[in-house]
Amino acid sequence: MIIAEQKPLEEIRRMIAPYERVLILGCGTCMTVCGAGGEREVSLLKAALQLAQARNGEQANSFTEYTVKRQCDLEFLDLLADRVQEVDAVLSLGCGIGVQTLVERFPDLPTFPGVNTSFMGAAKEWGVWDERCAACGECRLGDTGGICPITRCTKGILNGPCAGAKHGKCEASKEMDCAWILIYQQLERLGQLERMRRYYPPRNYQVIPRPHRLVIKADIEAGGGHA
Amino acid sequence: MISSSVDIPVRHRRIVPRQGSFDHTLVPPCQDACPLHMEIREYVDLIAQGRVLEALQVIREGNPFPSICAYVCTHPCEEACRRGQVDNPIAIRALKRFAVEFGGDRMVRPEAETKYEEKVAIAGSGPAGLAAAYYLRKLGYPVTIFEAHSELGGMLRVGIPKYRLPREVVDTEVQRLTQMGVEIRANSPVISLDLLFQMGYKAVFVTVGAHQGLRLGIEGEDSPGVVDGATFLREVNLGLKPAIGERVAVVGGGNVAIDAARTALRLGASKVSILYRRSREEMPADPVEVEQAQEEGVEIQFLVAPTKVQQDTKNLTLTCIRMELGEPDRSGRRQPVPVQGSEFSVAIDTLITAIGQAPRVPEDFRLRIGRGSTIRVDPLTLTTNREAVFAGGDAVTGPATVTQALATGRQAALRIDDYLRHRYPAVSKPGRQTLTGDLQPKTIEMIRKHNRLEPPVLPPETRTKEFAAIELVYDWESAVREGRRCLRCGMGAEILFQDKCATCLTCLRVCPYHVPFVGEGGVIQIPADQCQACGVCVGECPAKAITLRKPRDRRQIDGELDHVIKAAGESKVKPLIVGFCCQYGLYGTGTLANLWRESKAGIWVVPVLCVGKLESEQILRAFGMGAEGVFIAGCGQEQCARENTAFWVQQRIAKVRKVLTQIGMEPQRLQAVNLSGGEDNPAAVLDRFTEQIGEFCLASAIKGEVRT
Repeated sequence: MIIAEQKPLEEIRRMIAPYERVLILGCGTCMTVCGAGGEREVSLLKAALQLAQARNGEQANSFTEYTVKRQCDLEFLDLLADRVQEVDAVLSLGCGIGVQTLVERFPDLPTFPGVNTSFMGAAKEWGVWDERCAACGECRLGDTGGICPITRCTKGILNGPCAGAKHGKCEASKEMDCAWILIYQQLERLGQLERMRRYYPPRNYQVIPRPHRLVIKADIEAGGGHA
Repeated sequence: MISSSVDIPVRHRRIVPRQGSFDHTLVPPCQDACPLHMEIREYVDLIAQGRVLEALQVIREGNPFPSICAYVCTHPCEEACRRGQVDNPIAIRALKRFAVEFGGDRMVRPEAETKYEEKVAIAGSGPAGLAAAYYLRKLGYPVTIFEAHSELGGMLRVGIPKYRLPREVVDTEVQRLTQMGVEIRANSPVISLDLLFQMGYKAVFVTVGAHQGLRLGIEGEDSPGVVDGATFLREVNLGLKPAIGERVAVVGGGNVAIDAARTALRLGASKVSILYRRSREEMPADPVEVEQAQEEGVEIQFLVAPTKVQQDTKNLTLTCIRMELGEPDRSGRRQPVPVQGSEFSVAIDTLITAIGQAPRVPEDFRLRIGRGSTIRVDPLTLTTNREAVFAGGDAVTGPATVTQALATGRQAALRIDDYLRHRYPAVSKPGRQTLTGDLQPKTIEMIRKHNRLEPPVLPPETRTKEFAAIELVYDWESAVREGRRCLRCGMGAEILFQDKCATCLTCLRVCPYHVPFVGEGGVIQIPADQCQACGVCVGECPAKAITLRKPRDRRQIDGELDHVIKAAGESKVKPLIVGFCCQYGLYGTGTLANLWRESKAGIWVVPVLCVGKLESEQILRAFGMGAEGVFIAGCGQEQCARENTAFWVQQRIAKVRKVLTQIGMEPQRLQAVNLSGGEDNPAAVLDRFTEQIGEFCLASAIKGEVRT
C-alpha cells in the first residue's frame, strides 16, 4: 500500500491560487486507505480551503469534489472527461503516480499534487503506518527472515547489525527497533542462523536504469509465443 | 450458450439510493414481540432525549389506549429486549407510563367523522371491543357497543383489580370513545345476533370475553364459601363486598389467582394462601406480581392440590395432597403427580378457585365452538361460520392479555372494513426485516453496564389497606436515564456503498464493540444484529461508504446546523458561537433549557444524538458558515452509553484544530466543554468561552487593520 500525507494547506493554497474553478480529486484506493485523499479528505479539504478564503477575505474559488476508484489507471480517469471541461485546474489527492497519470490523460489541464507520497507500508494500528518496502528490485527477504533491512534499518545495510544497536533499539532513534536484531531473532526462531553467517555482496544499482518498466506479456512477434 | 436475459451493464443496473431518503432499520425484537407491533425503540429514544410529547405521539399511533397498557401490559417486549443479555431489559412499560403521564395523554382528543353508513355492532366492551370500536370509528363507521354489565371495560372493569388499573383510566378512554361518536349501550347483553342484523347492523364483532371460571372437579366444590376467581373479582370490582372471613385459600398459579389473593387481603382477610400444584418455575403469573403479593403477606404453597371441601358449621375444611413433578406434559411443563399418603387438611373461611376461565357464548349466536368453549374463527380474517360475524378476544383465544386483545380489536376493525368495503383482506403486509440473533459475548463485554431503574412503588404496608394504584411514575431524570439504556437494536451502521469501500479496515479497527469483520472474499461486513449504532465508523470511514440505517440519524446534524446558521444570520448578536450539544444528556435532562436562560446571548446550539457521531467536516462547516467559536458538549461520562465518546471527540477536535492553525485561527476557538454539572456552573463555563472568543475576534480585527 502506498502511504502519503496531505500537503500543508498553505502550499496547496499557493498552487491553486491562480485558478478559479478547481476540481479536488480523491483516489479510492491507497489514498483512501491511508487517510490522505479519500472522499472524506476531499470534502474536508474543500471545507478547509473555503474557510481559509473566507477568513482572509479572498474571493471564493469554485471547488468541485470527486473521487475516482484509482487515479493511476487511464480507464478510471475517462469518467472525468466531462467534469474536467468545467474546471481550470485539478488538485489531485492521488499519489505521485495518480498525478502523472492524470497529466497523461488530460495534458492540457494544470494538475497539482495535494499530497506528499511518502512510502510503501502497512498499518500498524488505526491511524499509524510503517514503511515496509523500498521497491529495490532485488528482494532479499528470503535471506533475512522476512524482515527488510533496506527499509527497516536506518543505514540500509545488507550485512548487519552495525555496532550501534543498544537494547535492541537503533542508535538513530530509541523508538526504532534495530532491524538486524529483529532479523537475528527471526532466523533463530526458524533455525536458520547460518544465513547470518553468509556475506551478501552490495546491491547492483546499475542493473536497471530508471524509470523501471515491467512487461509480463509475451512478445509474440519476436517469436516468444506458441507457434 | 446464449443467455435469454438482457445483459445490462452493472453501472446502469444499480439503483443508487439518494442519501438520506431510505430507512434500512430492522424491526427490533421488542417491536416484534409486541402484539400491537408498537414502535418501542422510537418512543424509548424520544424519552431518552426528553422529547416526551413526541414519544406519546409515537405511542398513540400504535396503541388506541396507551394509558391502559401503561398499567397492565404484560410487556412481552421486555422479555425479548436484548438489553437483558447485557444486564436487565429496558423498563418499557414503566417508560410508557411516564410518557402517558408527562406527555399529557389526558389532553388528547381523538376525532372521527362518519364516512360510511354501514353500522357495526360490537358485542362486549372488553379491550378487544373497545379497540375495535376506536379503529372502526376512526375509519368512519357508525359503531355501537353492547355491554352486559352496567359499566364498560369488560375484564378491565370486572377482572383487573383497581390497585393495578385505576378506574379513572378506563373511564377516560370510554369517555373518549363517546366523544368520537361511539354509541354505548350498557346493561344490554346481546342475546341474539339475528336481532342485531334486524336492527340494521351490517357487521357484528363478538367479543364477549371468558368470564366462566373452570371447575376443580372435586367433592364439595359447590359448598357455600367456595367461589371462582373471576366471579369473586367481578363482585369486588362492581362494588359488592363479599364476606370472605379471615382465612382465605386461593387455588391456582396464574394472574387471576394472584389478583384474587391480593384483593382478599385488601378486603380484610388476615391469612391468605395460594395453593399451586406445581413449583414456582412453572407458575404462569407475572413474577413481579408474585413478589409483590408475597411482600404484602400472601403465602404461596407450591406442589399442593385440593382434593375435597367439607362444610362444617363455622368454616370449611379443605383437604389437600402434596404433589411432585414428573415428566413434562404437552405444554412443556413438568406434570404434577400426587404423593401417596401426603393428604392434610386446613380450616378456612373461603376458598377461591382460579384455575382458568372459559367463554360462555350464547347458543342462540349459532357460532361454531371449538376447544375450551371458544369461538372458532379464521385467524387472519377473524371471520366466523356466520356471514358478517367476526369474533376475537378471550372469547376466541381463551384468557389472554389486554394487549393481545387490543391487537385483535384493531385487526377486527381492519377486517370488518375490508368486508364492508368489499375488498380482498390485506392481511399480509410486506414489512421490514426483523432483527434476530443474540449479541456476541465480545460485544456484550464492551457495552457499558447500567442497571435498570424501577419506578417506585407504594410500601406493602400502605398498599394493602386500600385499592389505590401501587406503582408510581418515574421522575423526569429517571425516565431519561432508563430510556438511554436502550441499545437501539437494528438502527446501526451499514456499508451502503460497497463499491466505494476500499476495504481499508478502518471500521473494523475503530469499532468499540468488535462488530465489523472480514467476510468471505475479503468483503467487510457490519452485522446489523451486533452493531451498537455509536456512529464512530461512520465518522471515520475515509471513503464515506458507511451510513446509519435511520434517515434521521444521518441528516440530523447537518439539518440542524443549516437551521441554526440561518437563524443566527438573522440575529445581530456577535460573536457567533455554535455549540454541538448532546441531545440525550443535556436536552433530555433539561440542563440546556436552564443554560438558555442563564448564559449570554450569541450561543447557538446544534443538538446531537451523541457527540461521538459528530464528524470533523461538520465542525469545520460551522466555522465555514461564520462561527467564531465552536464548542462540543457531551452528556458527561457517567451517564453516557459509551465508554470512549471523549476519545473520538478529541480525535476530531485535533483534526479540525490542525486546519484552524494552518489558516491562522486560534485552535482554542474549538473546545470540548463539560456542561453536565461537575464543579463549574455550566453557564459560567460558556460565559468564559464566549469571553475568550471575543478576545480572539478583537485580536484578529486589530491584526486585520495593521495588515491593511
